[in-house]
Amino acid sequence: MTRTADVAIVGGGVNGCSIAYRLAKAGKKVVLCEKGDFASGATGSCDQMVILQSKNPGIHLKLALDSAELFQTLAQELDYDIEYFKHGGMITIENEMEMNVMTDFVAKQKKIGLEVDIISREDAAKRQRGLGEHLLGCTYSPQDGHVNPFKLNMGFAQAAKKAGAELLIDAEVTDFKMAGGKVVGIKTAKGDVDAETVIISAGAWSPLLGQKLGLKLPIKPRRGQIIVSQPCAPYIVGDILSAQYIVAKYHPETLLNAKDRGIQLGVGLAISQTARGGILIGATREFVDYDVSNTREGIREILKNAARLMPGLKNLNIIRIMGGVRPYTPDGLPLVGYVKGMDGLFMAAGHEGDGIALSAITGKIVAGLICEGKAYTDVSALDPNRFELFAK
Amino acid sequence: MSACGAEDQVFVCRCEEITREEIAEAIADGATTVRGVKVRTEAGMGLCQGRGCRKIIQQMLSQAGVRPAAEVLPSTTRTPVRTAKIAEFINEEDD
Repeated sequence: MTRTADVAIVGGGVNGCSIAYRLAKAGKKVVLCEKGDFASGATGSCDQMVILQSKNPGIHLKLALDSAELFQTLAQELDYDIEYFKHGGMITIENEMEMNVMTDFVAKQKKIGLEVDIISREDAAKRQRGLGEHLLGCTYSPQDGHVNPFKLNMGFAQAAKKAGAELLIDAEVTDFKMAGGKVVGIKTAKGDVDAETVIISAGAWSPLLGQKLGLKLPIKPRRGQIIVSQPCAPYIVGDILSAQYIVAKYHPETLLNAKDRGIQLGVGLAISQTARGGILIGATREFVDYDVSNTREGIREILKNAARLMPGLKNLNIIRIMGGVRPYTPDGLPLVGYVKGMDGLFMAAGHEGDGIALSAITGKIVAGLICEGKAYTDVSALDPNRFELFAK
Repeated sequence: MSACGAEDQVFVCRCEEITREEIAEAIADGATTVRGVKVRTEAGMGLCQGRGCRKIIQQMLSQAGVRPAAEVLPSTTRTPVRTAKIAEFINEEDD
Protein backbone atom coordinates (compact mmCIF):
# COMPACT_ATOMS: atom_id res chain seq x y z
CA MET A 1 0.00 0.00 0.00
CA THR A 2 1.32 3.41 -0.97
CA ARG A 3 0.26 6.38 1.11
CA THR A 4 0.51 9.97 -0.03
CA ALA A 5 1.19 12.87 2.28
CA ASP A 6 2.35 16.45 2.31
CA VAL A 7 5.00 15.54 4.87
CA ALA A 8 6.53 12.20 5.85
CA ILE A 9 8.33 12.19 9.21
CA VAL A 10 10.96 9.60 10.07
CA GLY A 11 11.20 9.00 13.82
CA GLY A 12 8.56 8.77 16.57
CA GLY A 13 10.47 10.22 19.46
CA VAL A 14 9.45 13.33 21.29
CA ASN A 15 10.63 15.63 18.49
CA GLY A 16 9.14 13.64 15.59
CA CYS A 17 5.78 13.54 17.37
CA SER A 18 5.93 17.23 18.32
CA ILE A 19 6.55 18.07 14.64
CA ALA A 20 3.75 15.74 13.51
CA TYR A 21 1.36 17.47 15.89
CA ARG A 22 2.20 21.03 14.80
CA LEU A 23 2.13 20.21 11.09
CA ALA A 24 -1.17 18.31 11.31
CA LYS A 25 -2.67 21.16 13.30
CA ALA A 26 -1.54 23.57 10.57
CA GLY A 27 -3.51 21.52 8.06
CA LYS A 28 -0.77 19.40 6.51
CA LYS A 29 -1.36 15.76 5.67
CA VAL A 30 1.24 13.97 7.80
CA VAL A 31 2.45 10.37 7.93
CA LEU A 32 5.00 9.53 10.65
CA CYS A 33 7.03 6.32 10.47
CA GLU A 34 8.77 4.90 13.52
CA LYS A 35 11.15 1.93 13.35
CA GLY A 36 10.14 0.51 16.75
CA ASP A 37 7.62 2.17 19.04
CA PHE A 38 7.26 5.66 20.49
CA ALA A 39 9.98 6.79 22.91
CA SER A 40 12.37 4.03 21.81
CA GLY A 41 15.52 6.12 21.54
CA ALA A 42 16.82 9.00 23.64
CA THR A 43 13.28 9.96 24.69
CA GLY A 44 12.91 6.65 26.51
CA SER A 45 16.27 6.65 28.26
CA CYS A 46 16.74 10.20 29.45
CA ASP A 47 16.32 12.19 32.61
CA GLN A 48 13.22 14.35 32.55
CA MET A 49 14.50 17.88 32.68
CA VAL A 50 13.14 20.98 31.05
CA ILE A 51 16.05 22.88 32.48
CA LEU A 52 17.03 26.30 31.21
CA GLN A 53 20.11 26.97 33.29
CA SER A 54 22.20 24.40 31.43
CA LYS A 55 21.70 26.16 28.11
CA ASN A 56 24.42 28.21 26.50
CA PRO A 57 23.57 31.96 26.60
CA GLY A 58 22.57 32.78 23.02
CA ILE A 59 20.14 31.15 20.59
CA HIS A 60 20.34 27.91 22.63
CA LEU A 61 18.96 29.55 25.79
CA LYS A 62 16.55 31.73 23.83
CA LEU A 63 14.94 28.67 22.23
CA ALA A 64 14.82 26.84 25.57
CA LEU A 65 13.05 29.84 27.16
CA ASP A 66 10.51 29.91 24.34
CA SER A 67 10.04 26.16 24.63
CA ALA A 68 9.50 26.43 28.40
CA GLU A 69 6.85 29.06 27.71
CA LEU A 70 4.98 26.52 25.57
CA PHE A 71 5.32 23.88 28.32
CA GLN A 72 3.29 26.08 30.71
CA THR A 73 0.08 25.32 28.81
CA LEU A 74 1.04 22.22 26.87
CA ALA A 75 -0.97 19.76 28.97
CA GLN A 76 -4.17 21.71 28.30
CA GLU A 77 -3.30 22.18 24.66
CA LEU A 78 -2.63 18.47 24.10
CA ASP A 79 -5.42 17.46 26.49
CA TYR A 80 -2.95 15.03 28.05
CA ASP A 81 -1.35 15.01 31.50
CA ILE A 82 2.35 15.27 30.65
CA GLU A 83 3.33 15.70 34.34
CA TYR A 84 5.15 18.99 33.81
CA PHE A 85 6.28 20.55 37.09
CA LYS A 86 8.18 23.80 37.50
CA HIS A 87 9.89 23.56 40.88
CA GLY A 88 13.04 25.50 39.97
CA GLY A 89 16.56 24.22 39.64
CA MET A 90 20.04 24.57 41.07
CA ILE A 91 23.58 24.04 39.83
CA THR A 92 26.05 23.05 42.53
CA ILE A 93 29.41 24.84 42.65
CA GLU A 94 32.34 23.09 44.30
CA ASN A 95 35.45 25.15 43.64
CA GLU A 96 36.80 28.54 42.52
CA MET A 97 37.21 27.51 38.89
CA GLU A 98 33.54 26.47 38.71
CA MET A 99 32.52 29.66 40.53
CA ASN A 100 34.32 31.74 37.90
CA VAL A 101 32.74 29.84 35.01
CA MET A 102 29.27 30.02 36.56
CA THR A 103 29.53 33.72 37.48
CA ASP A 104 30.23 34.51 33.85
CA PHE A 105 27.59 32.03 32.61
CA VAL A 106 24.87 33.42 34.90
CA ALA A 107 25.62 37.04 33.94
CA LYS A 108 25.24 36.18 30.25
CA GLN A 109 22.06 34.15 30.85
CA LYS A 110 20.46 37.06 32.70
CA LYS A 111 20.97 39.26 29.66
CA ILE A 112 19.02 36.76 27.52
CA GLY A 113 16.16 36.95 30.02
CA LEU A 114 16.60 33.98 32.37
CA GLU A 115 15.82 34.58 36.04
CA VAL A 116 18.92 33.15 37.69
CA ASP A 117 21.26 34.03 40.55
CA ILE A 118 24.15 32.60 42.49
CA ILE A 119 23.10 31.88 46.06
CA SER A 120 25.15 30.93 49.12
CA ARG A 121 25.38 27.36 50.36
CA GLU A 122 23.29 28.44 53.33
CA ASP A 123 20.47 29.72 51.11
CA ALA A 124 20.75 26.65 48.88
CA ALA A 125 20.34 24.45 51.96
CA LYS A 126 17.03 26.18 52.70
CA ARG A 127 15.74 24.99 49.34
CA GLN A 128 17.27 21.51 49.29
CA ARG A 129 18.39 19.36 52.21
CA GLY A 130 21.30 16.96 51.97
CA LEU A 131 23.72 19.10 49.95
CA GLY A 132 27.44 18.51 50.51
CA GLU A 133 29.04 20.65 53.24
CA HIS A 134 31.93 21.60 50.96
CA LEU A 135 29.86 23.43 48.32
CA LEU A 136 30.74 27.09 47.76
CA GLY A 137 27.21 27.85 46.62
CA CYS A 138 24.69 27.13 43.91
CA THR A 139 22.96 28.89 41.11
CA TYR A 140 19.20 29.01 41.39
CA SER A 141 16.49 29.65 38.80
CA PRO A 142 12.75 29.43 39.48
CA GLN A 143 12.12 28.71 35.80
CA ASP A 144 13.54 25.17 35.63
CA GLY A 145 11.20 22.22 35.55
CA HIS A 146 10.72 18.67 34.43
CA VAL A 147 8.24 16.54 32.51
CA ASN A 148 7.45 12.85 32.10
CA PRO A 149 9.16 12.00 28.77
CA PHE A 150 6.93 8.98 28.01
CA LYS A 151 3.80 11.00 28.62
CA LEU A 152 5.13 13.96 26.66
CA ASN A 153 5.88 11.67 23.71
CA MET A 154 2.46 9.96 23.91
CA GLY A 155 0.73 13.30 24.45
CA PHE A 156 2.20 14.70 21.23
CA ALA A 157 1.39 11.43 19.43
CA GLN A 158 -2.26 11.35 20.55
CA ALA A 159 -2.76 15.02 19.75
CA ALA A 160 -1.17 14.51 16.32
CA LYS A 161 -3.58 11.63 15.63
CA LYS A 162 -6.54 13.75 16.72
CA ALA A 163 -5.38 16.50 14.34
CA GLY A 164 -5.43 13.98 11.49
CA ALA A 165 -1.85 12.69 11.29
CA GLU A 166 -1.24 9.01 10.64
CA LEU A 167 1.41 7.52 12.92
CA LEU A 168 2.90 4.13 12.01
CA ILE A 169 4.97 2.05 14.42
CA ASP A 170 7.04 -1.02 13.51
CA ALA A 171 7.53 0.90 10.26
CA GLU A 172 11.27 1.01 9.70
CA VAL A 173 12.39 3.18 6.80
CA THR A 174 14.35 0.94 4.44
CA ASP A 175 15.05 3.49 1.71
CA PHE A 176 14.19 6.86 0.21
CA LYS A 177 12.32 7.41 -3.05
CA MET A 178 14.09 9.73 -5.45
CA ALA A 179 13.06 11.46 -8.69
CA GLY A 180 15.35 13.79 -10.60
CA GLY A 181 17.67 14.29 -7.63
CA LYS A 182 14.74 15.13 -5.36
CA VAL A 183 13.55 13.16 -2.36
CA VAL A 184 9.91 12.29 -3.08
CA GLY A 185 9.08 9.72 -0.43
CA ILE A 186 10.16 6.82 1.75
CA LYS A 187 9.92 3.04 1.61
CA THR A 188 9.01 1.46 4.92
CA ALA A 189 8.23 -1.92 6.44
CA LYS A 190 4.57 -0.88 6.26
CA GLY A 191 4.58 0.30 2.65
CA ASP A 192 5.67 3.38 0.72
CA VAL A 193 4.85 6.96 1.58
CA ASP A 194 5.01 9.51 -1.24
CA ALA A 195 5.52 12.99 0.15
CA GLU A 196 6.45 16.49 -0.90
CA THR A 197 8.75 16.83 2.09
CA VAL A 198 10.55 14.14 4.09
CA ILE A 199 11.73 15.07 7.60
CA ILE A 200 14.50 13.10 9.25
CA SER A 201 13.93 13.38 13.00
CA ALA A 202 15.49 10.11 14.05
CA GLY A 203 17.83 11.53 16.68
CA ALA A 204 21.07 9.59 17.03
CA TRP A 205 19.99 7.24 14.24
CA SER A 206 19.67 10.05 11.69
CA PRO A 207 23.18 9.63 10.23
CA LEU A 208 22.36 6.01 9.32
CA LEU A 209 19.40 7.30 7.30
CA GLY A 210 21.55 10.05 5.84
CA GLN A 211 24.00 7.44 4.55
CA LYS A 212 21.25 6.03 2.33
CA LEU A 213 21.13 9.46 0.66
CA GLY A 214 24.89 9.88 0.44
CA LEU A 215 24.86 12.40 3.28
CA LYS A 216 27.44 12.61 6.01
CA LEU A 217 25.45 14.10 8.88
CA PRO A 218 27.62 15.46 11.71
CA ILE A 219 25.56 13.67 14.36
CA LYS A 220 27.15 11.04 16.60
CA PRO A 221 25.54 8.77 19.20
CA ARG A 222 26.67 9.63 22.73
CA ARG A 223 25.74 7.32 25.56
CA GLY A 224 24.22 8.46 28.81
CA GLN A 225 23.82 6.09 31.74
CA ILE A 226 21.28 7.10 34.36
CA ILE A 227 20.43 5.46 37.68
CA VAL A 228 16.88 5.15 39.05
CA SER A 229 16.19 4.85 42.78
CA GLN A 230 13.28 3.10 44.40
CA PRO A 231 10.22 5.32 44.78
CA CYS A 232 10.57 7.41 47.92
CA ALA A 233 8.92 10.32 49.68
CA PRO A 234 9.55 13.77 48.17
CA TYR A 235 13.25 14.53 48.69
CA ILE A 236 14.65 16.25 45.60
CA VAL A 237 12.75 19.52 45.42
CA GLY A 238 13.67 20.82 41.98
CA ASP A 239 16.21 19.77 39.39
CA ILE A 240 19.86 19.72 40.32
CA LEU A 241 22.90 19.82 38.09
CA SER A 242 26.55 20.22 38.95
CA ALA A 243 28.77 22.91 37.49
CA GLN A 244 30.98 20.04 36.30
CA TYR A 245 28.33 19.39 33.67
CA ILE A 246 28.42 22.99 32.43
CA VAL A 247 32.22 23.04 32.43
CA ALA A 248 32.39 19.71 30.57
CA LYS A 249 29.82 20.82 28.03
CA TYR A 250 31.03 24.32 27.21
CA HIS A 251 34.71 24.26 28.22
CA PRO A 252 35.82 20.75 27.25
CA GLU A 253 39.39 22.03 26.87
CA THR A 254 39.69 22.31 30.66
CA LEU A 255 39.17 18.55 30.96
CA LEU A 256 41.72 17.43 28.40
CA ASN A 257 44.31 16.40 30.96
CA ALA A 258 41.88 15.17 33.60
CA LYS A 259 43.04 12.04 35.40
CA ASP A 260 39.78 11.41 37.23
CA ARG A 261 37.94 8.52 35.56
CA GLY A 262 34.56 10.13 36.20
CA ILE A 263 35.59 13.28 34.36
CA GLN A 264 36.93 11.21 31.46
CA LEU A 265 33.51 9.52 31.23
CA GLY A 266 31.89 12.95 31.10
CA VAL A 267 30.10 12.48 34.42
CA GLY A 268 28.17 15.50 35.59
CA LEU A 269 25.44 15.40 38.17
CA ALA A 270 21.86 15.60 36.97
CA ILE A 271 19.32 14.69 39.60
CA SER A 272 15.57 14.98 39.87
CA GLN A 273 12.60 13.10 41.26
CA THR A 274 9.70 11.75 39.21
CA ALA A 275 6.01 12.13 39.99
CA ARG A 276 5.99 8.51 41.14
CA GLY A 277 8.87 9.10 43.55
CA GLY A 278 11.84 7.55 41.79
CA ILE A 279 15.00 9.65 41.90
CA LEU A 280 16.91 9.87 38.61
CA ILE A 281 20.67 10.22 39.01
CA GLY A 282 22.78 10.88 35.92
CA ALA A 283 24.78 10.79 33.85
CA THR A 284 27.72 9.84 31.70
CA ARG A 285 28.50 11.28 28.26
CA GLU A 286 30.45 8.64 26.34
CA PHE A 287 31.20 8.01 22.68
CA VAL A 288 30.72 4.24 22.32
CA ASP A 289 28.87 4.06 19.01
CA TYR A 290 25.36 2.59 19.45
CA ASP A 291 26.19 0.52 22.55
CA VAL A 292 23.40 1.25 25.06
CA SER A 293 24.54 -1.20 27.73
CA ASN A 294 25.60 -0.23 31.24
CA THR A 295 29.07 -0.43 32.70
CA ARG A 296 30.06 -0.99 36.31
CA GLU A 297 32.61 1.77 35.99
CA GLY A 298 30.02 4.23 34.65
CA ILE A 299 27.54 3.39 37.39
CA ARG A 300 30.16 3.70 40.11
CA GLU A 301 31.48 7.04 38.85
CA ILE A 302 27.96 8.52 38.62
CA LEU A 303 27.14 7.40 42.14
CA LYS A 304 30.47 8.53 43.62
CA ASN A 305 29.92 11.92 42.07
CA ALA A 306 26.31 12.14 43.28
CA ALA A 307 27.18 11.03 46.83
CA ARG A 308 29.93 13.66 47.06
CA LEU A 309 27.51 16.44 46.12
CA MET A 310 24.58 14.97 48.09
CA PRO A 311 25.88 12.59 50.75
CA GLY A 312 22.39 11.59 51.86
CA LEU A 313 21.84 9.65 48.64
CA LYS A 314 24.17 6.88 49.82
CA ASN A 315 21.43 5.18 51.79
CA LEU A 316 18.95 5.02 48.93
CA ASN A 317 18.26 1.78 47.09
CA ILE A 318 18.47 1.68 43.32
CA ILE A 319 16.19 -0.41 41.14
CA ARG A 320 17.30 0.27 37.58
CA ILE A 321 20.05 1.66 35.41
CA MET A 322 19.13 3.19 32.07
CA GLY A 323 21.38 3.42 29.05
CA GLY A 324 20.69 5.24 25.82
CA VAL A 325 22.35 7.29 23.12
CA ARG A 326 21.74 10.97 22.46
CA PRO A 327 22.39 12.73 19.16
CA TYR A 328 25.57 14.79 19.63
CA THR A 329 26.48 17.58 17.20
CA PRO A 330 29.86 19.38 17.10
CA ASP A 331 28.43 22.80 18.05
CA GLY A 332 25.80 21.60 20.50
CA LEU A 333 22.88 22.83 18.38
CA PRO A 334 20.41 20.66 16.46
CA LEU A 335 20.09 20.62 12.66
CA VAL A 336 16.72 22.09 11.72
CA GLY A 337 15.90 23.10 8.16
CA TYR A 338 15.91 22.09 4.50
CA VAL A 339 19.03 20.46 3.08
CA LYS A 340 20.48 22.53 0.23
CA GLY A 341 21.27 20.46 -2.83
CA MET A 342 18.67 17.80 -2.02
CA ASP A 343 15.17 19.16 -2.55
CA GLY A 344 12.42 17.61 -0.50
CA LEU A 345 14.66 16.72 2.44
CA PHE A 346 14.33 18.44 5.80
CA MET A 347 16.42 17.79 8.93
CA ALA A 348 15.21 18.02 12.53
CA ALA A 349 17.72 16.11 14.62
CA GLY A 350 20.79 16.49 16.82
CA HIS A 351 19.38 17.83 20.09
CA GLU A 352 21.75 15.76 22.25
CA GLY A 353 20.70 16.24 25.87
CA ASP A 354 18.17 18.96 25.10
CA GLY A 355 15.64 16.94 23.13
CA ILE A 356 12.96 16.98 25.79
CA ALA A 357 13.41 20.65 26.70
CA LEU A 358 13.46 21.81 23.08
CA SER A 359 10.76 19.45 21.77
CA ALA A 360 7.90 21.92 22.12
CA ILE A 361 9.70 24.69 20.26
CA THR A 362 11.17 22.34 17.63
CA GLY A 363 7.66 21.44 16.44
CA LYS A 364 6.76 25.10 16.20
CA ILE A 365 9.94 26.01 14.29
CA VAL A 366 9.55 23.16 11.80
CA ALA A 367 5.88 23.94 11.18
CA GLY A 368 6.79 27.59 10.59
CA LEU A 369 9.59 26.77 8.13
CA ILE A 370 7.46 24.29 6.19
CA CYS A 371 4.07 26.05 6.22
CA GLU A 372 5.09 29.69 6.06
CA GLY A 373 8.66 29.57 4.80
CA LYS A 374 9.97 31.09 8.01
CA ALA A 375 10.08 30.37 11.73
CA TYR A 376 8.73 32.72 14.43
CA THR A 377 12.29 33.85 15.11
CA ASP A 378 15.67 33.79 13.38
CA VAL A 379 16.83 30.16 13.45
CA SER A 380 19.66 30.45 10.93
CA ALA A 381 22.01 29.12 13.65
CA LEU A 382 20.20 25.76 13.33
CA ASP A 383 20.52 25.63 9.52
CA PRO A 384 21.85 22.14 8.70
CA ASN A 385 23.85 23.63 5.80
CA ARG A 386 26.28 25.19 8.31
CA PHE A 387 27.97 21.77 8.08
CA GLU A 388 29.38 20.06 5.01
CA LEU A 389 26.60 17.50 4.58
CA PHE A 390 27.59 15.73 1.41
CA ALA A 391 30.09 12.89 1.71
CA LYS A 392 33.11 13.44 -0.52
CA MET B 1 -12.75 -5.50 25.02
CA SER B 2 -15.07 -7.01 27.59
CA ALA B 3 -17.41 -4.85 29.58
CA CYS B 4 -15.74 -3.39 32.62
CA GLY B 5 -15.85 -6.08 35.27
CA ALA B 6 -14.01 -6.90 38.47
CA GLU B 7 -11.40 -8.81 36.49
CA ASP B 8 -10.48 -5.70 34.52
CA GLN B 9 -9.68 -3.85 37.74
CA VAL B 10 -7.09 -6.41 38.88
CA PHE B 11 -3.61 -4.91 39.22
CA VAL B 12 -1.33 -6.56 36.68
CA CYS B 13 1.60 -4.36 37.71
CA ARG B 14 1.30 -4.19 41.47
CA CYS B 15 4.21 -1.81 42.01
CA GLU B 16 2.76 0.94 39.81
CA GLU B 17 -0.86 -0.17 40.25
CA ILE B 18 -1.65 -0.65 36.58
CA THR B 19 -4.85 -2.61 35.93
CA ARG B 20 -5.65 -5.27 33.37
CA GLU B 21 -7.99 -2.77 31.74
CA GLU B 22 -5.20 -0.21 31.31
CA ILE B 23 -2.92 -2.85 29.75
CA ALA B 24 -5.74 -3.83 27.35
CA GLU B 25 -6.20 -0.17 26.42
CA ALA B 26 -2.48 0.16 25.66
CA ILE B 27 -2.68 -2.88 23.38
CA ALA B 28 -5.76 -1.43 21.69
CA ASP B 29 -3.79 1.81 21.23
CA GLY B 30 -1.20 -0.06 19.19
CA ALA B 31 1.37 -1.47 21.61
CA THR B 32 2.87 -4.65 20.15
CA THR B 33 5.63 -5.24 22.70
CA VAL B 34 6.05 -5.34 26.47
CA ARG B 35 8.07 -2.16 26.14
CA GLY B 36 5.27 -0.55 24.15
CA VAL B 37 2.88 -1.32 27.01
CA LYS B 38 5.40 0.14 29.46
CA VAL B 39 5.69 3.40 27.50
CA ARG B 40 1.90 3.80 27.44
CA THR B 41 1.11 2.73 31.03
CA GLU B 42 4.38 2.69 33.06
CA ALA B 43 3.69 -0.96 33.91
CA GLY B 44 6.94 -2.66 34.89
CA MET B 45 8.72 0.51 35.99
CA GLY B 46 8.30 0.10 39.73
CA LEU B 47 10.16 -1.56 42.55
CA CYS B 48 10.21 -5.08 41.07
CA GLN B 49 11.00 -3.86 37.53
CA GLY B 50 8.42 -6.03 35.80
CA ARG B 51 9.33 -9.31 37.44
CA GLY B 52 5.72 -9.87 38.37
CA CYS B 53 3.88 -8.40 35.40
CA ARG B 54 6.00 -8.98 32.34
CA LYS B 55 4.81 -12.57 31.81
CA ILE B 56 1.17 -11.55 32.15
CA ILE B 57 1.66 -8.68 29.70
CA GLN B 58 3.43 -11.01 27.24
CA GLN B 59 0.46 -13.36 27.52
CA MET B 60 -2.05 -10.56 26.96
CA LEU B 61 -0.12 -9.38 23.89
CA SER B 62 -0.03 -12.85 22.35
CA GLN B 63 -3.71 -13.42 23.14
CA ALA B 64 -4.54 -10.15 21.41
CA GLY B 65 -2.77 -11.58 18.37
CA VAL B 66 -0.56 -8.53 17.77
CA ARG B 67 2.23 -10.87 16.75
CA PRO B 68 3.01 -14.60 17.07
CA ALA B 69 3.48 -15.68 20.68
CA ALA B 70 7.13 -16.64 20.13
CA GLU B 71 7.87 -13.08 18.95
CA VAL B 72 6.40 -11.36 22.00
CA LEU B 73 9.68 -10.74 23.78
CA PRO B 74 10.23 -9.46 27.30
CA SER B 75 11.41 -5.86 27.69
CA THR B 76 15.08 -5.16 28.35
CA THR B 77 16.25 -6.24 31.77
CA ARG B 78 19.12 -4.33 33.30
CA THR B 79 21.25 -4.06 36.40
CA PRO B 80 20.56 -4.37 39.32
CA VAL B 81 18.82 -7.73 39.56
CA ARG B 82 17.65 -6.84 43.05
CA THR B 83 17.45 -3.46 44.71
CA ALA B 84 20.83 -2.48 46.06
CA LYS B 85 22.07 0.33 48.24
CA ILE B 86 24.03 3.11 46.50
CA ALA B 87 26.82 2.84 49.09
CA GLU B 88 27.47 -0.74 47.94
CA PHE B 89 28.27 0.43 44.41
CA ILE B 90 30.47 3.29 45.60
CA ASN B 91 32.50 1.05 47.87
CA GLU B 92 32.85 -1.73 45.33
CA GLU B 93 36.40 -0.83 44.30
CA ASP B 94 37.60 -1.13 47.89
CA ASP B 95 36.78 -4.85 48.01
